[in-house]
Amino acid sequence: MKILNNKKLTIISILVLMVGSMMVILNSCTASKKISMKSGAQLWSENCQRCHNTPSPSTFSPEQWETIGMHMQSRALLTETEKNKIVEFLSQ
Amino acid sequence: MKPLNKLIQRLPAICLFLLLSTVTKAQEPTTVVDSSLLDRVNALEEQAAYIKPEESHLMIAGLLTFGYASNKTTVTYNGSSTVSKTNNLGDADHFEFSPMLLWRHGKKFLMEFEPSFSADGLGVNWAAVTYDAAPGLILRGGYLVLPFGTYSKRLAAGWINKLASDPEGVPDATDFALEAEGGIQAGTMKWSYDFAISNGMQLQSDGTTQFVGITDNNKNKTFTGRIGWLPFANSSLELGASVMTGKVGDAGGKIANANANLFALDLNLVENLTPFQLNIKGQYSEAKIDHAEYTDPNNPNTTYTFDNHTKTGYIMAALRPMFSPNKVVKNFEVAARYGNYTTPANSLWGTKDNSLSVGLNYWINWRTVARFSYEAIKGTNTVSANLGGNPGEVTKSNSAYLQFCIEL
Repeated sequence: MKILNNKKLTIISILVLMVGSMMVILNSCTASKKISMKSGAQLWSENCQRCHNTPSPSTFSPEQWETIGMHMQSRALLTETEKNKIVEFLSQ
Repeated sequence: MKPLNKLIQRLPAICLFLLLSTVTKAQEPTTVVDSSLLDRVNALEEQAAYIKPEESHLMIAGLLTFGYASNKTTVTYNGSSTVSKTNNLGDADHFEFSPMLLWRHGKKFLMEFEPSFSADGLGVNWAAVTYDAAPGLILRGGYLVLPFGTYSKRLAAGWINKLASDPEGVPDATDFALEAEGGIQAGTMKWSYDFAISNGMQLQSDGTTQFVGITDNNKNKTFTGRIGWLPFANSSLELGASVMTGKVGDAGGKIANANANLFALDLNLVENLTPFQLNIKGQYSEAKIDHAEYTDPNNPNTTYTFDNHTKTGYIMAALRPMFSPNKVVKNFEVAARYGNYTTPANSLWGTKDNSLSVGLNYWINWRTVARFSYEAIKGTNTVSANLGGNPGEVTKSNSAYLQFCIEL
């Protein structure tokens, strides 16, 4: 496979920036909600997928979700409210 | 027959008596049960139904990665080429078994320990205690992955990474440290901070810097910090900036006063564009070490110097039709990554690498993936001829990977 030269790299960078800008515009059209107004399911969907696929609630027991919640709060730097709501949702 | 006649004559009276007694009994008031007794019964029923949260909870999670790697490397210098090929079922970068112990005490303390077995042998990824001090403030201590960029701390695990290999040159700094971190809501945006004080990096006599498994080599400590910003209410975009700074030379040695200054910028965008999910991640970092005289390991009586400046970056994009109604199609994902890694010219390890990786993932479930990746790296040697290098030598490395990753 031929390695990219600087011109191609520049083109790719511009494309990435264009896609990024498009995302910014798309996001600006969505209604903004504060964390306190969101459900645990919504916060689970929004935050877990920042790094990995959203976990199935049935994977672990409520006690285990409590433990994993503490671990993930430190990894993803979730707010206290986000962690509590997500753990509550996953424990149901 | 006289008694029988008498009985027949008295039968209506007997029936009337029985009827009246039944009606009277039915009209008797219900016996009143002591309310304190009822309360006690209710309390016992609640107690029996209550699942007591455990004060102490121990669980094992972790990850496993294994696979097959095939590589062909061609080195060209002054018009002549040499070719080498390898085929491995596992090597240091592509095999790992890391069980993770999470031991929670109440709702404030968490002990985390992750030993790891790979082709490098048995090691420890981290061993730390976490204290949930207050909303927005988590304190940690122990052997930690330092908060420099996001790749090492969040994205390096095989089941999270979108490609089989790691991007070249991303600093992986793990050290004994104290850390303060947290996430804060600010309107519809979020901010995060992560600061750590650690023993620090160690500058070797040849000019290389060691980030992991360090013995404290001086009295100074290294500061590492990252600020993250999530500007959108749905947390789809995160931008981060990190710094790491500290003295890195051995106390009392020739390069005792050398400082290392590093910075990193990171980007994470996850956007659901039905039926696709688009994932763009990237990180760029530079490391600058103060001017110093280094020792040539091939000729210990000789010193040399160079601009000890390293740059590395990658940008990765992945696209998955996650919201497709087709149960098979929705599990496929394509990914591509471009990387650049430039080490100091005229050093013993000087090179300028460009890499391109492409991959196809199949998600068996949310935490299990089978993947194929292909990676091409082109490196141009920048080692000084005075140090025995071959400046201008070109190394082309082509690798194919089949990999299986699971989070347990």
